Amino acid sequence: MSFLDSLAAGLSLVGNIEAFLALFIGVVIGVIGGAIPGMSATMAVALTLPFTFAMQPITGILLLLGVYKGGIFGGSIPAILIKTPGTPASSATILDGYPLAERGEAGRALGMALWASCTADVISNLALILFAGWLASFALSFGPPEFFTLILFSLTIIAGVSGDSLLRGALSALLGLLLATIGLDLVYGTNRFTFGDPNMMGGLNFIAVLIGLFAIPEILAMVWHPTAHVGKTRSLGKNWVSFADYRRSFKSIVRGSFIGVFLGSIPGIGAAPSAFLSYSEARRTSKNRENFGKGEIEGVAASEAGNNGVAGATLIPLLALGVPGDVITAIIIGAFMIHGLQPGPMMFILNVDIIYGLFIGLIVSSLFLFMVGSVAIRGFKYVADLPRRILIPAVLVLCIYGVFAVNNNIFDVGVMFAMGWVGFVMMRYRVPPAPFLIAFILGPLLEDNFRQAMLMSGSDPTILIRGPITWFFWAMTVVTIVAIVRAGVGAFRRGPGRGRAPEA
Amino acid sequence: MTLKTMGAVCALSLGLAGAAWAEYPERPINMVIPYGAGGATDISARTISEPLGKAVGKPLVMANVTGAGGATGSVAVQNAKEDGYTMLFARVGSHSVNPAMKATLPYTLEDFRFVTVYEINPFACVVSARSDITSMEALIEQAKGDGISFSSSGVGSGPHLAAAMVLNAFGVEDAANAATHIPQQGGGAAATAVLNGTADFLCTNSSALAGFVSNGQMRALMVTTADPVEGFDAPTSVDLGQPDLQQMVGWTGIAGPAGLPDEVAAKWGDWMQSAAADAEFVEKMESRGSIIRVMSPEEANDFIQGQYETFRKLVDDLGMRIEG
Repeated sequence: MSFLDSLAAGLSLVGNIEAFLALFIGVVIGVIGGAIPGMSATMAVALTLPFTFAMQPITGILLLLGVYKGGIFGGSIPAILIKTPGTPASSATILDGYPLAERGEAGRALGMALWASCTADVISNLALILFAGWLASFALSFGPPEFFTLILFSLTIIAGVSGDSLLRGALSALLGLLLATIGLDLVYGTNRFTFGDPNMMGGLNFIAVLIGLFAIPEILAMVWHPTAHVGKTRSLGKNWVSFADYRRSFKSIVRGSFIGVFLGSIPGIGAAPSAFLSYSEARRTSKNRENFGKGEIEGVAASEAGNNGVAGATLIPLLALGVPGDVITAIIIGAFMIHGLQPGPMMFILNVDIIYGLFIGLIVSSLFLFMVGSVAIRGFKYVADLPRRILIPAVLVLCIYGVFAVNNNIFDVGVMFAMGWVGFVMMRYRVPPAPFLIAFILGPLLEDNFRQAMLMSGSDPTILIRGPITWFFWAMTVVTIVAIVRAGVGAFRRGPGRGRAPEA
Repeated sequence: MTLKTMGAVCALSLGLAGAAWAEYPERPINMVIPYGAGGATDISARTISEPLGKAVGKPLVMANVTGAGGATGSVAVQNAKEDGYTMLFARVGSHSVNPAMKATLPYTLEDFRFVTVYEINPFACVVSARSDITSMEALIEQAKGDGISFSSSGVGSGPHLAAAMVLNAFGVEDAANAATHIPQQGGGAAATAVLNGTADFLCTNSSALAGFVSNGQMRALMVTTADPVEGFDAPTSVDLGQPDLQQMVGWTGIAGPAGLPDEVAAKWGDWMQSAAADAEFVEKMESRGSIIRVMSPEEANDFIQGQYETFRKLVDDLGMRIEG
């Protein structure tokens, strides 16, 4: 079958009202679900799954993909407006999005988040359509040693999100690494730091830690100082992202999209590390580096491009190999199987109409995302206008319900509050929470892959330099560390007072 | 206790002891799925929830309580009220492999009362299609010679035990340590590890592998059932002279806390019979490689106990028990 035939077959499959309606409804559900703190894109997809059982395969899968894409964008709305990432992938968006909102530029930040998300979405979808086969074979050359070096390199992001004090950032990261060790040991299956409590055996719930770390400290600060915000205006205003902003950030958006595509095509990483990596690369190369973390629009663009760049690319291992790349695609693969479809190389031969139908749907989904996102931003702008005395208690209620609903477990709510106090103390002592989060996500990956690599080689460390991919990441790691050290030494020489700048 | 006693007194005084239970269920029933959305247990549970909900006549509230290889959700049901309003979708991993292998597991089989097992999944052993290993003999030969590695969805998971059981059955000495176990985080990662060459082989649910085998990415070496499994061009364990490996099958069942009343268990037995008769349900499950076999509460308890004892003996023989 030629390309055009395949395209026509795909078009005939999705060329009906139901398919596009499902996709559109999916995007709407996703944006709303992603925007509710604690709900997360993953849960929105999981809740939608049972409804797809009775649908046509392509309609059901498009519905889920719509929810996925919408959810990843939707998460940025509460991240920017109330410093609570709606979905883990948008935690990097907080770093600059929330300061922008504090300055009364929430509209600009939200607009940029949408534009960056949609651009990244298009690039990611095109990558899926054009390079699926190539990227899939690239993903398959990623064994534990390659993974280990990639994660090692990614940990250098910590320097980029530490703010002015690398020491405080490192402290935060160590705390994150420590808490990530709770749960079952991967290789021995023994309990680590569970204190005999079955609730701890699964490790600390990621969403609970995330919300506890970012949202709860704001609430505690409000309780501490109920009137601290009085006098600060905080409205969406008339400001909207300008084309000049977009053009200025375009390079970061494209770079972030490609980072998303590469990380997304490798099973097991997910959108959050990609967003952080994109953010830290944008910061490293930007002229406005000093402004990152204080409300730099390019930072929002980079993080949102990084996480939405993943959304199309995670379908590469799913469709080309039949392997789910992250939690969400694991649910989507379930939907394929419900309908008797088996993703993998043969699907490109046996069900080529479905593949091309999905491609067409994906392209359209970026457009839908733009439309729904624009409307959603207008709807959610009232959140920014709400007085804090009403907003903050409402956020607290949402956080509690959201965290409980992730796993129907009250213990997670306790974890959220405990982490809230940790976050509050960290905030008082100006320890940045972002390195904590990155270490909490990447720490277990680093450990697991290192130990798997050691099992593979019988504890021979040379496996960690077994091929070009590992060499590449070792080199990147060394270069980055040298750059960090040189910047640190330079800053020290220019005068010791500089490191304490934010106290002013 | 007082409440229960009072309830019993009230019921007796009205002469409605039987009728009071006959009214179960009066309200929606919470169904705990101890694994994540989209996994084998989740899909199975949500597929049966449709016909089962009709049979029960009250809504079934499905909730995923995940973590620690099914332990978190299982504990939630273990500690629930024994009134039949909180039930668990139990799985081979959470209720026979884990109890057999993990000394520190916060529950044992005695903490649950099984009302049914409705689904059986054959296990299959596969290697990557690019592997030199083409048969079980070749696999065993390599295990005895150069050594071999296998992946699993974690320590104490079904695939972990299955690989050790298979190697042991085929005469590999000290099977638990003879091969290198490379555990992964979850079933998808375990399959990926075989595809990308991290591990040599994997024994797990045929339904998790069917896609890879039909796509030509993996080669099936053996299935553990007595009859061949559709889509798997591989000998059965009986063909290979290892009928004992038939014990190594996956299953999904429903359980309540240990003190579940007989009447409630009996009701579930009836509901399951009518739910599993639903043609659409059977078709959906079979298309994914499952075998639908509805067991009565008694049968289910015997089946699980039997499998647990086999596994327990194997674990003790091979020194695979995880302490601490």
